[in-house]
Amino acid sequence: MQNKDSFDLGFSQNTITASAEPPRPESAERRPAAVETAEPKPTVMLEPWKAVRRIACFFGLVVLLIFVMNAMITSGLRRLKTSAFGASNQIMDGKVNAQIVISGSSRALAHYDPRTIEAITGRTAFNLGRNGAQTDMQVAFLKAYLAHNQKPEIVVHNLDAFTFVTTREVFDPVEYTPYLYDRDLYSALGKINPKIWKSRYLPLYGYVVEDMNFTWVLGLKGFFGWSPPEDYFLGFNPRSKKWTDDFQNMKANNPHGVSFGIEPEGIRVVEDLIRVCRQNGIQLILVYSPEYAEMQSLTKNRAEVFGLFHELADHSSVPLWDYSDWKYAGNQELFQNSQHLNAAGAGIFSADLANRLKAYLAAQSKVGDMPVSSSATVSHAQD
Amino acid sequence: MLFNSIEFAIFFPVVTAIFFLLSQRWRVHFLLAASCLFYMAFIPVYILILLVTILIDYFAGIYLERVEDTKKKKALLWVSILSTCTVLFIFKYFGFFTGSFVGLADLLGWHLSRPMVSIILPIGLSFHTFQSLSYVVEVYRGNQKAERNFIVYATYVMFFPQLVAGPIERPQNLLHQFREWHPFDSVRVTSGLKRMAWGFFKKLVVADRLALYVNDVYGAPRNFNGLQLTLATLFFAYQIYCDFSGYTDIALGAAEVLGFHLMENFRTPYYSLSMSEFWKRWHISLSTWFRDYVYIPLGGNRVSKSRHIVNLLITFSVSGLWHGANWTYVLWGLLNGLYLVAGWLSKDWRERFYGAVGLHENTLARKTIMLLTTFALTCVAWILFRARNTSDALYVFTHLASSWNFHQIATQQFFLRQFPVAIAAILVLEIGQLWNTVASVPSLVSRMPVVARWALYASFVMTVVMFGVYKQMQFIYFQF
Repeated sequence: MQNKDSFDLGFSQNTITASAEPPRPESAERRPAAVETAEPKPTVMLEPWKAVRRIACFFGLVVLLIFVMNAMITSGLRRLKTSAFGASNQIMDGKVNAQIVISGSSRALAHYDPRTIEAITGRTAFNLGRNGAQTDMQVAFLKAYLAHNQKPEIVVHNLDAFTFVTTREVFDPVEYTPYLYDRDLYSALGKINPKIWKSRYLPLYGYVVEDMNFTWVLGLKGFFGWSPPEDYFLGFNPRSKKWTDDFQNMKANNPHGVSFGIEPEGIRVVEDLIRVCRQNGIQLILVYSPEYAEMQSLTKNRAEVFGLFHELADHSSVPLWDYSDWKYAGNQELFQNSQHLNAAGAGIFSADLANRLKAYLAAQSKVGDMPVSSSATVSHAQD
Repeated sequence: MLFNSIEFAIFFPVVTAIFFLLSQRWRVHFLLAASCLFYMAFIPVYILILLVTILIDYFAGIYLERVEDTKKKKALLWVSILSTCTVLFIFKYFGFFTGSFVGLADLLGWHLSRPMVSIILPIGLSFHTFQSLSYVVEVYRGNQKAERNFIVYATYVMFFPQLVAGPIERPQNLLHQFREWHPFDSVRVTSGLKRMAWGFFKKLVVADRLALYVNDVYGAPRNFNGLQLTLATLFFAYQIYCDFSGYTDIALGAAEVLGFHLMENFRTPYYSLSMSEFWKRWHISLSTWFRDYVYIPLGGNRVSKSRHIVNLLITFSVSGLWHGANWTYVLWGLLNGLYLVAGWLSKDWRERFYGAVGLHENTLARKTIMLLTTFALTCVAWILFRARNTSDALYVFTHLASSWNFHQIATQQFFLRQFPVAIAAILVLEIGQLWNTVASVPSLVSRMPVVARWALYASFVMTVVMFGVYKQMQFIYFQF
């Protein structure tokens, strides 16, 4: 019979058993209905302290496992010889020691092919570009490179329209987790994220809390000797994709164009880059690598940003090579989106740059140790 | 303080250890202090709101017992209910009702300005308000003696495992437990810990991972295709279940460790064969609250057919409004009420239909159809629950079946590589639940040799650690 005053009105009343009905409140005199539990309780009960010891032992075991797992993952990632971790491992193990080093963001990473640069200039080269890195992280990584490797002759630093914007949130922080022992990296990351100590000192924190991409699986595979297919060639990560919808979407979302921030701290970081190179006797070359032509007109404060580039370069007598008017800047076939060349574009640009570098180095060798004058601040078209 | 936080990982073992070391005299005081600390970890000053609710109902309970005259008693009850509900109204519904009033006035051509009052909703306000109300009503009905010890009463309202998202306890079940001695029982403590571990699995591994997808899609539904909208809706069904039942498992497990029994809130609701059965398995403490304090006082089903339908719709609409100050919640409640009415009215017709096609009672095919139908109807209702507004909900309803693109499934936060983990997590959940329906998994495991058992437990904990999402996402029901 239907239970009066219940919600039992549905499709199949007869399928609802009495036990599914939650207990109704009972009178104060009666004990409450026993809570239904699936588990029949064993009769053997341990003495309290014995039980506490046993529980503590179990959690001790778990903590031990966490430490072991953390060590295996870190060790595995440090063993990788390919991919982004392979490139970082070479840098942090001091195995690069290149004569020409390229630093910068994802634009540097995807635009400069050190193999081409080596072939044309006859000097060893390596790309330190980092995905999602602003200038503060780029400089921190360059400092880490310098701490572990021989000083290069030349640092080619790639500039972006957002060069003077500092990092709000570290992109893909797990890429730095195995290397947090490095003072420069740790301190740079600490300025951006004061909680970075957790990734350094709490086991697994950097791998499971800060990372959503299961990089720890890669670490475990690496621990057992597996390496992913190589996609980093002397640090260069070419992009195989053809032109995507990114730019169209960006245009649709920003019909009146975009502006990039100019932060005092961002300017200070570029000055720090110049100072570090000067202190180490490294020739710094600032390069604004190709950007899709239509994007340039959409950047509302481009003149202001470039004015600052020129001011900094002139003030420090650092060459500034601007590829804004690169002859292929309007060719979508060579770009993946407005900011990134694809592999074909990177091949052409790397050859262009390498030839220019070669000529520059030849000119340098003629003038000996004379500092390069600010007249080197010329555009690609003038070259 | 969130259960899924480092703070709670320190708080709970410390509180448990001190609790068992204290004499009975000080335990309740200590639990109250610990509960205050737990609550104040969110927004400290909001504990004053809780104090107001506690004081109102504490004194109301004592006076309700003293007053003999029925009319005075009833008046006192209403004063208490209205006072408690005023607090709830101010903090939860003021913006909603004034906004709706201004909107309505706009339609009528009166242009009023919306009051610029922005109040942050105290966490779990609806839960402890309802628990307080349940106390005064039970005292009024004579089912519960008024609690004269203020510390005990305050602990009843503030008991930290169930303070912010229930279960909404009845005084008959919980109040007396604060006077009882709870010795350290190793079996009970380990059972509680296992239940907490299962809750953490549901929350961290299933709910919070699915939340990445759901948040992306429901955050801007117009940017996604029909397949993504459908997947997000299915994922949300699992997310909300695992989020809330995961919280409940942690709450019940934590209470069990301390020696307290809280009421069950979920019984595998997605295995329901009808919507009425679903509501007996989903958020049981709230469903029974509405049944006992709204539906039955309205007349329940001991009235005319039409009045019975009205009673159901009122109860479910109010239940929807309880969930949140938004029309989407009201419509969600109303839709569930309509499901029950439609199920009731079409019962005979469906029986004839099943008979005509040869699907007799208790056949697997019939049960499967009923289960899938119930799940589908629940998912449709969840769209209203999850959408930011009625316009988004309408968009999702009308685009679920359109422009499915199997090459475009991932979202910004939820990459393709996350799908196998999410699907595997759901499978583990379902297998665990199904297995538990045929045999008690904990008792099977407890019969295993110690080494195997520990290996299994350690593997499970490591699975939660490695595959969990630790963005400290709040439990969905905290906002209610």
